[in-house]
Amino acid sequence: MKSIIAATLLVCFFAVTSSELQCEHTQLDIPKEWKDMAYPCISKMRSQVEEELKAAMQYMAMGAHFSKDTVNRPGFAKFFFKAASEEREHAIKIISYLLMRGELTSKVSDLIKKKCKLLIILTPRLTSWANGVSALKDALRLEAFVTRKIRDIIAVCESNPTQFNDYHLVDYLTADFLGEQYHGQRDLAGKISTLEKLMGQHGPLGEFLFDKKLLNDEL
Amino acid sequence: MSAFTLTGAEGIMKTFVAFVVFTSFCSFVLAAEESCFNDVVRACKTTNKMSQFPIACSAKYGGIEADQEYLQKYVNHHFIRSFEYLLMSTHYANYEKNRLGFEKLFRDLSDDTWDDAIELIQYITKRGGEMNFNLISEDIRSEELNGNNFELYELQSIAKAMDIEKKLATEAFQIHEDVCRKNDKFYDPEISHHMEEEFMPKHRDTIRKLAGYTTDLSNLLKGPDSSLALFFFDEYLLKQ
Repeated sequence: MKSIIAATLLVCFFAVTSSELQCEHTQLDIPKEWKDMAYPCISKMRSQVEEELKAAMQYMAMGAHFSKDTVNRPGFAKFFFKAASEEREHAIKIISYLLMRGELTSKVSDLIKKKCKLLIILTPRLTSWANGVSALKDALRLEAFVTRKIRDIIAVCESNPTQFNDYHLVDYLTADFLGEQYHGQRDLAGKISTLEKLMGQHGPLGEFLFDKKLLNDEL
Repeated sequence: MSAFTLTGAEGIMKTFVAFVVFTSFCSFVLAAEESCFNDVVRACKTTNKMSQFPIACSAKYGGIEADQEYLQKYVNHHFIRSFEYLLMSTHYANYEKNRLGFEKLFRDLSDDTWDDAIELIQYITKRGGEMNFNLISEDIRSEELNGNNFELYELQSIAKAMDIEKKLATEAFQIHEDVCRKNDKFYDPEISHHMEEEFMPKHRDTIRKLAGYTTDLSNLLKGPDSSLALFFFDEYLLKQ
């Protein structure tokens, strides 16, 4: 009887020790001198991820509005859904840049901030528009807002208040991000101008034609 | 003679009244079925201003009106998971974790849930509904309120991903049940068919893939050199 108990205990002991899963690894010792981004700059870049995702969700709301049967503008819907995915790609580009500079090793869960612990970026501010022109105008205002935010990051990362001029980041933001912003804004402004003139005399017909041109990528 | 004619006249009168009642009832029922047509007829009468009589011709039929709320919640569920997968992918892409295979795994999951959400918004509007970005189901809300950590170790992160995918899959089942089995007010096989075609096979395959990964990883991590095993597993994931 005692030998049976002893044998069972021995088997249990081996079972417990031999199947231990090594899920975690030891702490690493990597030099940190190469990480030279200043804290205010990192903080600004982190918040820009959320700004880009908020813009993506606002475009998503525009796409959803123009997909409705009572609105029925598939060209506008296609344009805005594409813009939503592009804004998400911008957010991913910013994340990639931060990762390249050695950041985002902690507080990744806080990257997309939560209000009362819920994801606030989910709820877009505006969800319906009277016509296509007003949506395009709101899109242009949104792009101008995001451009200002990027310029704020550049201002902070250049000198104020860090005293460390982050040349590469400023260069990257200026060339890649600002370039794309300005091109996008010019594109939207041109579209608004065309559409408003079309609608001046022909109202719904103008918007209908414009929508079909957008759908066929003719604009 | 006079009594007969009186009864005959009464009988004819009663039949006539019954006929009038019956036809008006029928036309009332048919009119309800043809409300779009009737609205257009009324609006297009030359004496009427089009704007005075709005035309109620929407694409809504079947169960979309009642089920719309659950589809909207499902869309928002997808968006939340898309962002969560993006955070998990970010964590594995930093220089301390440096697991590019895991980064790719979660980035693909994030992209898939994002695209599914857009596709579902387009589906809701195709059925005549609209999107509401404010609705979140209670389960997800309480999960979010309990706090979430996305900076996990490898096996834990795959386990979390599998739980997330199962939640998405189960919600698709619930929507399917709502429109077909659970209620007697309507029956909408189109919505359930859409769930069956567009979501259920994808979920099934992803869950099976992730379950396979947990099996492999837990076996690898039991061995003597778990770090080397993780390196090779990560390389393998990059090729998937």
